[in-house]
Amino acid sequence: MGDVILTMKDIDKSFPGVHALDHVNLELKRGEVHALMGENGAGKSTLMKVLTGIYKKDSGTITYEGKEIEFHNTREAQDAGIVIVHQELNMLGHLTVAQNIFIGREFKKGFGIDDKKMNEEAKKLFDRMHIDIDPREKMSHLTVGKQQMCEIAKAISHDAKVIIFDEPSAALTETEIDQLFKIIRDLREKNLGIIYISHRMDEIKVITDRITVMRDGQYVGTLITAQSSKNDIINMMVGRVIYEDPKTHSMVPEGAPVVLKVENLNAGKMVQNVSFELHKGEILGFSGLMGAGRTETARALFGADPKESGDIYINGEKVDIKSPLDAVKHGMGYLSEDRKQYGIVVQKSVAENTTMATMEEYMNGIFINKKKEAETAQSFVDQLATKTPSVDQLVVNLSGGNQQKVVIAKWLTRNSDILIFDEPTRGIDVGAKNEIYKLMNKLASEGKAIIMISSEMTEILRMSDRIVIMCEGKKTGELDIAEASQENIMNMATREIN
Amino acid sequence: MAKENVMPAVQKKSPFGKLKGQSLIVLLVIIGLFIFFCIMSPSFRRYTTIISILDYSYYIALMAIGVAFPLMTGGVDLSIGTGLICYSLVGGWLIQVHGMPVGVGLAACILFGLVMGAINGVLVSFMELPPFLATLCTMMVNRGLGSVIAGRAISWPVAAAPGGWFRNIFKITVGKTLIPIGFLWVILLVILMSFVLNHTKIGRYTLAIGSNKEATRLSGVNVKFYHLFAYVISGFFAGLAAISYSAIFATVQPGTGAGFEMEAIGGAIIGGVSATGGAGSIVGTLFGVFVFCLLKTGLPFIGLQANWQQIITGLVLIGAVLIDIIKKKKGNA
Amino acid sequence: MDKFKENSFVKKVGFNRIVLFFVMILMYAFFCVVTGGKFFGMDRVLSLLNYAYFLGFLSLGVTFVIATGGIDFSIGPVMFCCALISGFSLTSYGVPMGLALVISVLVGLAFGLFNGFLVAYMSVPPFIVSMASMNIAKGIASVFTRSQSVSWPQSAGAGGWYRNLVKVGNIPVGLIFFLAAAAICAILLNNTKIGRYILCLGSNKEAVRLSGVNIKKWEMLAYTICGLLVGIAAIFYVSAYTTVQPGYGDQYNNEAIAGCVMGGTSMAGGLASIGGTVIGVLIIALLQEGILALGFAKDYQLIITGIIVIAAVYADVVARRRKN
Repeated sequence: MGDVILTMKDIDKSFPGVHALDHVNLELKRGEVHALMGENGAGKSTLMKVLTGIYKKDSGTITYEGKEIEFHNTREAQDAGIVIVHQELNMLGHLTVAQNIFIGREFKKGFGIDDKKMNEEAKKLFDRMHIDIDPREKMSHLTVGKQQMCEIAKAISHDAKVIIFDEPSAALTETEIDQLFKIIRDLREKNLGIIYISHRMDEIKVITDRITVMRDGQYVGTLITAQSSKNDIINMMVGRVIYEDPKTHSMVPEGAPVVLKVENLNAGKMVQNVSFELHKGEILGFSGLMGAGRTETARALFGADPKESGDIYINGEKVDIKSPLDAVKHGMGYLSEDRKQYGIVVQKSVAENTTMATMEEYMNGIFINKKKEAETAQSFVDQLATKTPSVDQLVVNLSGGNQQKVVIAKWLTRNSDILIFDEPTRGIDVGAKNEIYKLMNKLASEGKAIIMISSEMTEILRMSDRIVIMCEGKKTGELDIAEASQENIMNMATREIN
Repeated sequence: MAKENVMPAVQKKSPFGKLKGQSLIVLLVIIGLFIFFCIMSPSFRRYTTIISILDYSYYIALMAIGVAFPLMTGGVDLSIGTGLICYSLVGGWLIQVHGMPVGVGLAACILFGLVMGAINGVLVSFMELPPFLATLCTMMVNRGLGSVIAGRAISWPVAAAPGGWFRNIFKITVGKTLIPIGFLWVILLVILMSFVLNHTKIGRYTLAIGSNKEATRLSGVNVKFYHLFAYVISGFFAGLAAISYSAIFATVQPGTGAGFEMEAIGGAIIGGVSATGGAGSIVGTLFGVFVFCLLKTGLPFIGLQANWQQIITGLVLIGAVLIDIIKKKKGNA
Repeated sequence: MDKFKENSFVKKVGFNRIVLFFVMILMYAFFCVVTGGKFFGMDRVLSLLNYAYFLGFLSLGVTFVIATGGIDFSIGPVMFCCALISGFSLTSYGVPMGLALVISVLVGLAFGLFNGFLVAYMSVPPFIVSMASMNIAKGIASVFTRSQSVSWPQSAGAGGWYRNLVKVGNIPVGLIFFLAAAAICAILLNNTKIGRYILCLGSNKEAVRLSGVNIKKWEMLAYTICGLLVGIAAIFYVSAYTTVQPGYGDQYNNEAIAGCVMGGTSMAGGLASIGGTVIGVLIIALLQEGILALGFAKDYQLIITGIIVIAAVYADVVARRRKN
């Protein structure tokens, strides 16, 4: 390890309703792989966005190569040698791989762009990374894993001094992860500083030199990887919050009836012949890599996307679900992974969101009975301990966890028996997360059947009674919680690819 | 690593090499329409008909080539129709009322187009107004400005008059036959703009913005500038269209021009420019334009007057977008 | 100031609405002063209101569409189409006055259904639908009337009673109809399921759909309501001006949208205020009359309205940006 290349000191950043970063520190040396760890919503991605100029910090200092700097956009950061491999893919589907990699700094030939040279350079880059992708392929035709590799190739192709990997492995198979680690070690040799964001403990132990832990938007501490145990790290990450114990066996009573049965569901290449059963009072975990087809399965099941074939039985009766309207009529509720886009209407009040699916019950002739609406919303606010000044508050002003509770309330007003939670705790801070878990367990114990899609292994192992594993649009395994482990789930989750 | 570094040729450079799918269908539609009109009307089968189809095609084609760029960014430019008339009025007014040379009038058309394009660009790109609304406003502004500045109908010089040379830009008479050389310029511009679209940064970023603006921004592209530039291109071509309109029709009425934009936008969309941005072809756009020009010229031959054309063009536009939408739905399933 | 904003009456009416109201008063005063009091007369007020009625109905209609996050800029030409078809039926086919008015509303309704169906059920982008409808409306009107302008009967003529819709003697009864329609629209938007779903789907379509709501139905309904109001607008247009010419009407698109956006309806959808639209429309009408009273040509109206719409929408964009 060399000298310090980057120091972030006392970084502070607030969004409406959330104190995202509370005086956070980070120090990176040349030739170091530095892990940035923390639960979902701890503020890791936000910190990196502040560094690369996507967000503007409220206060604090960033020192880079001995000078205090502040970038106003990613271009400035790139030019200074700091590049980021984003967690959410930033691809331009209509363009080719090479065009994507070199966007913003195309090779010139006369007045035009030298696409040929770009293809050749991209090819060289891939060869150096030992991956096989045709640079002329359209980006939208690649698998999610390969798209991720292209993002990495793009980052490397910059003449960077600092590279940030934001959960790069979430979409990658084991082989691809091995390739990635080779690439990272190579970069370390070349004296680059690398920030590696992940919450996969095993990877952190293998690849990183030091670890900075964040929690609830605060800086907790920095460890040397070689000198710390897994438990040290977990303790720092989790802190005061005491999680419920992982389930060791299924909580579903013997002989609980099947409420939902799905047979050979097909919807495009992301959902191929998926079959499973869901019992009353059960939490069925759906595990897999990013892009495995779990969300697509849920959406097809819920009628949000068209399905090609497949039979759905609810309480033993075959049902025809063509739209979310049908699904809701049959007692299903869907809580999307992307609340802002699919879950809530942010510019509307808590009350309006709560009654969205059950409007008919609040009608007085043709008029809306706003008093009754407010009463119902209030009762759910009390029941779920939603933190909001009033039911007239606009949902946009609530924190992630409380927004999620509003969505849950929406489905509870409908008395839905089958609830699909898609990444239920994404973007929710740690304390609230635990409340959501408690709530889900309570709902299951009251006889609701729950499908829980999650990319967090710990969440899957902690909450599920049974686990369905998907890969590349197919179901590749099913495990009872008693027999499930991180290893056998990962095995099944990459079965189709290797 | 089984693959060699040698890459097989998948893309052909010639514009006809890319003639596939939609472009091919549109071409067949054009041929079909042409044959249909020929069969239905004997008077359609004349050389002068072809000339009049081409006469109509220039200004629509030029507008369409330009407006394809805002469309590909996921926006639209509705101001080109009344813009064309406004620029032509201003240019003609300089010549007729102020006795300026024709060259100045022509330059004024283009300059005015560039300025209005830049204003649209600023409104959409920097001020983040919805494109259809911003350009709907400039559409009305153009109409008002044209009338306010010129005040009345304007006649550009006739061919025989001094300064009438400019009318030969689009049509020359050799012996007794008219040669529509304007078509040559249009083809050259199509080739040029195809190159700009497919092989320059301007085109690349236009498509990238239409595909995913935020991702393009995060890649360090100066999105605002290139977004603005798409509208400048549109304005510039509206200026060129104004010149062709003046050269062909000579007389310009204030208050007209509304509706021209639909033929141009419709042509672009029929030619494969996505109404939601991110994809498009200039060659296809030219084909699309000819669908409208054929309808415009051909319908009167089978007894349907100008007003029917408005209805039919509207329906054709919706039909074209519907086909595009249905095709996409099938593609996703 | 903050205290004023917290006042329960102010909160209910909306701070921006109150500001807008005073802007209107100030503008009126301004025009009165610069025209040397000419603007103060009853004639001016009546002529101003004549302009405000039909524009008001257009604006009320388009408010529903904009609330869904869509747009309809075919309303002006469609209004003319309604007035021409019904007027031509009246003058050339001898249809009775009552029926002619019904035809006008039905034509508007038909266009509303057509636009709504294409946008909601066929997912055609609203601006494409508007563009096509605008031309179809002009085309149909011209074909139907053989490109002739249509003159509706004068007050004294047979069937002239319809002109009493705008004024009886010097009493502006049109105002009553307009305000009543606005009240109904306000109730529709704020207190019924239609309004709730229209606003919600304008704010986040996908979330509403995933809640099991038939969003296509509600979205189409917004365009249908708009069409209906455009049909009514046509009646008030002819009641005020009697003569209609085919091929026109575009300029009213902008003015109607301007009234709506100025009144606080967000172009991004999800936020709409009928009260705001009413004041917005009155301001636009004031402006049009004012420009004429100052002796400018009609063409200046186009330019000035265009600039005002841009300013109003930009204010909306800035307000939203600040919120996020």
